[in-house]
Formats: sequence, structure tokens, C-alpha cells
Amino acid sequence: MKIDIDKLFRNKINGAKPNVPKEIWFAVEAELKRKQLLRFLSMFFGVCLISLTGYIFLFSKIEKTPTIKIQKATSQEKLISLPQKKSPEKMLPLTTKKSDLHKASFPKKYKKNYSKKSFASLSDQNNKPSKETTFFEEKVKDTVVEKQVKKIDSLVNNLDNLVDDLKNDLKKEKKKLIKKKDSIDVAKFNKEKRRRWNVIPVFGISNSGRFSKNVSTLGTLRAVTYPNEYFDDNKSSGSISSTYGFNVVFRATNRISIQTGVFSKELRFLTEDLFLSEFIPDVNPTNIIYNPGVEVRFSNTPEIGGSESANLTQTIVYMEMPFELKYRMFGDSKFNTNIVGGFSFLYLNKNEIRAKTNMFSRKIGKASNVLTTSTSLNIGLDLEYHLSNRLVFNSAVMYKKHYNTYKDFNNKYSPYNVGMHVGIGYKF
Amino acid sequence: MIFKDIKKFKHKGSFEGWAKRVTVNVALQKFRKKSILKFDKIEENQLTEEEITVDVDEENISLSFLLSLINELPPKYQLVFNLYVLDGYSHQEISDLLNISTGTSKSNLFRARKLLQNKINNSKINSYENRHRQVIS
Repeated sequence: MKIDIDKLFRNKINGAKPNVPKEIWFAVEAELKRKQLLRFLSMFFGVCLISLTGYIFLFSKIEKTPTIKIQKATSQEKLISLPQKKSPEKMLPLTTKKSDLHKASFPKKYKKNYSKKSFASLSDQNNKPSKETTFFEEKVKDTVVEKQVKKIDSLVNNLDNLVDDLKNDLKKEKKKLIKKKDSIDVAKFNKEKRRRWNVIPVFGISNSGRFSKNVSTLGTLRAVTYPNEYFDDNKSSGSISSTYGFNVVFRATNRISIQTGVFSKELRFLTEDLFLSEFIPDVNPTNIIYNPGVEVRFSNTPEIGGSESANLTQTIVYMEMPFELKYRMFGDSKFNTNIVGGFSFLYLNKNEIRAKTNMFSRKIGKASNVLTTSTSLNIGLDLEYHLSNRLVFNSAVMYKKHYNTYKDFNNKYSPYNVGMHVGIGYKF
Repeated sequence: MIFKDIKKFKHKGSFEGWAKRVTVNVALQKFRKKSILKFDKIEENQLTEEEITVDVDEENISLSFLLSLINELPPKYQLVFNLYVLDGYSHQEISDLLNISTGTSKSNLFRARKLLQNKINNSKINSYENRHRQVIS
């Protein structure tokens, strides 16, 4: 007999299932509902009980604690309500006047806060039925107040101590965390100890300038035709120039690195609005040494015999050898931010003055007042991004103030240099 | 699991249905953990609604034999077959439970039925051969 396979399995297996009477399921559900209801009721009563206990506790506290209501001075309802304590003294017939109240002992510091009027009104308020207050009653009140004040003082002190303790704990925890972080960094540093050297070929651009304004370090230019007439100093401004070389970094500790290197560093200044005039011997003493065969001279006014307007470009190239310390401020295994500080030795490599007119641009001499060796003070921000275990992308923004650049000028005229360089270093 | 999570029963629907759902879900979780639920992807030609029948006498076939046949099925077929045939889930519900398409559910069910059909037919042949041998001997 052919039978559908689904039907075969369904009939056989479902037929063999123990048939649980429906009532059992209903009974289970009812039992669950009952348990749920019991749980809800017990929770409800629990909450009620806690609330009631809390309320009673608070209420009794309020009863025991003197409530002090102080309103603005203008208000007539100043009052300090104190609990009425039944004491044997109350029964004594000794009575006192309002003025006696003020004589009763009361902590000085609290005396200040509550005016006599308010205190008197307080006593009025509390003694309305009898309109008279016994001396002992007041004594009892004062004692209660004193006790409460002491209690509050001790609580405040405890609170202060607690805050101090918490602060100290927080500091300790912070120190611990810093130590832990440092120890992790040190462990990492020790792990990488083998790759402490980093050589970074770098290329960058910089802009130079001087803090002094309207003073050309090339000296005062004066008219060729009228040698006795001096003019204002010419303004010179820095131009964008390039820097290239390589850095060698030695990682001394996990935070401090020492770096040196060799750079070719160019400073370029432009002096505009000058004139090129014919050569007249010995009448234009500036700080420019003209090349042999050059028969024109710079002046800052046109000459009678004919002049051509020109710009002067001064280029100074140094071979720079920096000695700097790098301190890692923050970072992780991939990215580091360092501050860099140090100094550089500078050796003059190129000293050139070019004249640029509409017709030509030509090297015509050199500055006579530039010293062969000088120094600079360096400070900057350095970023490192680890591309791999060996390769590091490095970028730095540096500010360098030069010293002892010129013979006849003090350091006020020495240039400064702001530049940025990038490079990819190799660690080994 | 039912006793453990009994507090989670919100009295929405019957307790029987809830208990059944928990059982199925726990079983599915177990299967998923073992990563044995790799279902065959749907193939259009396998999507058939044809009725698969077997020629047996229902009275003579035992429950244990049928259960052993189901147990011999690969888990992916076994699961779909149990859910569809024995527990009465629809293909849509199975697809939601197992995170598969309805087509995959249908396909796996079809294969399960075919395997069961073959097994039952083979067992018939074997039993006939056994009986024949007994008569000869």
C-alpha cells in the first residue's frame, strides 16, 4: 500500500508521543501565574515596608533634630523651632523673662547668625500656650542645639577627611596607572631594543625672516651721484627656500631620543625697489662685495646718468649639523608625537647676491658681513608614523633662531627660520 | 533550560507553545555551535512539490526503525525534515529560524524525503532477500 512518506513518519512518531492532557498545561500556567502574583505581592509589600521604615526613621530624625528656618531679614516669620523636651526641670516654677533668653549659653558662632529678634520670636513661637518660658527649658534647648552643632561639625570634618582620603586615593591610583603605562612602554622598548637607530632622509621647505623691520643687513644704501646723501634702510623680506639632508636618530630610552644629521639649509631674502646704476668708484660703501668686472652698483634712488629698477636677492646656504633631543609626549605603537629641542652648528656654504631686473637675473657679488660659522637654537614638533617594523614616516615643524650670523650686527638682526620637513626613515 | 528560564515566560500565548519554542531554539543553538548547519543552496530543478510515497504496510513498520532512519540523515536534512514534518513549521518559519531561504528549506526537505524513501525501499529489498535465503536454506 502506497503511503505518503510525511504521513508515515507523522503518524508513527506523533502517535507514539506521550499525550499530555491539556489540563496539565493549564495547571502549569495557573501555577506560574500564581507564583508571579506572589512575587509581585511580596515585592510590593517589601517596597511598602522599606518606605514605611524609611519614613518612620526620617520622621523620628526630624523630630529629634532642631529645624532651623531662616528667612530673609525683611520677613517677620523668622523662627528657629526646637523640639519640646519634657524634662523634670520643666515642672519647676522658676520663670524667666525674654531678656534672660539671650543670657543663656549659646555657641558664639551661631549667635552671630541668628538675630536677637529671631531668637525671641522663636521662644514666643514655642511657648505660645503658656507665653512664659522656664530657664531650664531654655538650658535644655541650648544643650540640644550645642549637641547638634557638634554633631554637624564632626560630620563636616568627617566629610572633609573623606574627600581628602578620596583625593589621595585618586592620586595614588593615577600614579600607579602612569607607572603601569610606563612599564608597558619600557617593556615594549626593551622588546624593540635591537632597532634603536633610525636614519631618515628628509626634504623640506622653510621661510626665513628677521624680527627687525626696515633694516637690510646689507647695510645702508645711498645714492651714487650724491654720496653724502643717505637714505632710509631698505626693507628685506624672507622667501621660501628648500632644505634637504638626513637625520640620524638614536632612541636612548622609551621616551627620549637623540638626533643629529647633516642638512643643506638655504636662507633667502629679497630686497625690492632698488636701482642699478653705473659704477662710480668708492662712493657706495655697502656690505656688498661686487664680483670683478661688474660695473653696476645698487642704490635706492634713480641716478641722473640713468638707472634701472631692480630687486636684490640674497642667498645664504649653510651646511647644518643639528644636535637635538626628542621627547615623546604621547603616542602608541603606530603614532608618536615628540617635542624637539636643541641647537645646530652652521657652516657657510654659499653666499650670493643676485640682481634681478626686467631684462636679466645675474649673480653680481656676495655679502661681506656674513660670518662663516654660526649657530641656531632649534625647537619644534615631530610626528612619527610607523609604516612597518622598519619604516617610519617622519614629519617635523621646526623653528630655528640664528645667532652670530653677521659681523657688524648684533643678534637682533640675525634671521629666524620656520620650516617643515618630511621623510621616510629606516630603523635598524 | 525551560526550568532555568521559566521566569521569562510572559503569559503571552500558551505555556506549551513557549516550551516547544525554547526546546527548538536551544537545539538550534547547539547545532549552530557545532557548525554543522551548512545548507545546500537552492537549485531550481530540485524544487519539486511532488508527493514522495513508499509502498509499505504502516502497521508492520516499527517506530524505532523510522527513528533510526531519521538519525541516519545528514543534520541539515534531519533538521528541516523534523521541523517541517514532525513539528509542523512552515518553510517560511524554518527559513527564519535557520536563517536560510525558503527555497533552501524546500530543497533540503525534498532531499531528506528522497533519502528516506531510498532507505525504506532498500530495507524492503534486504528483508525480502533475508527471508528468501531463510526459505532456501
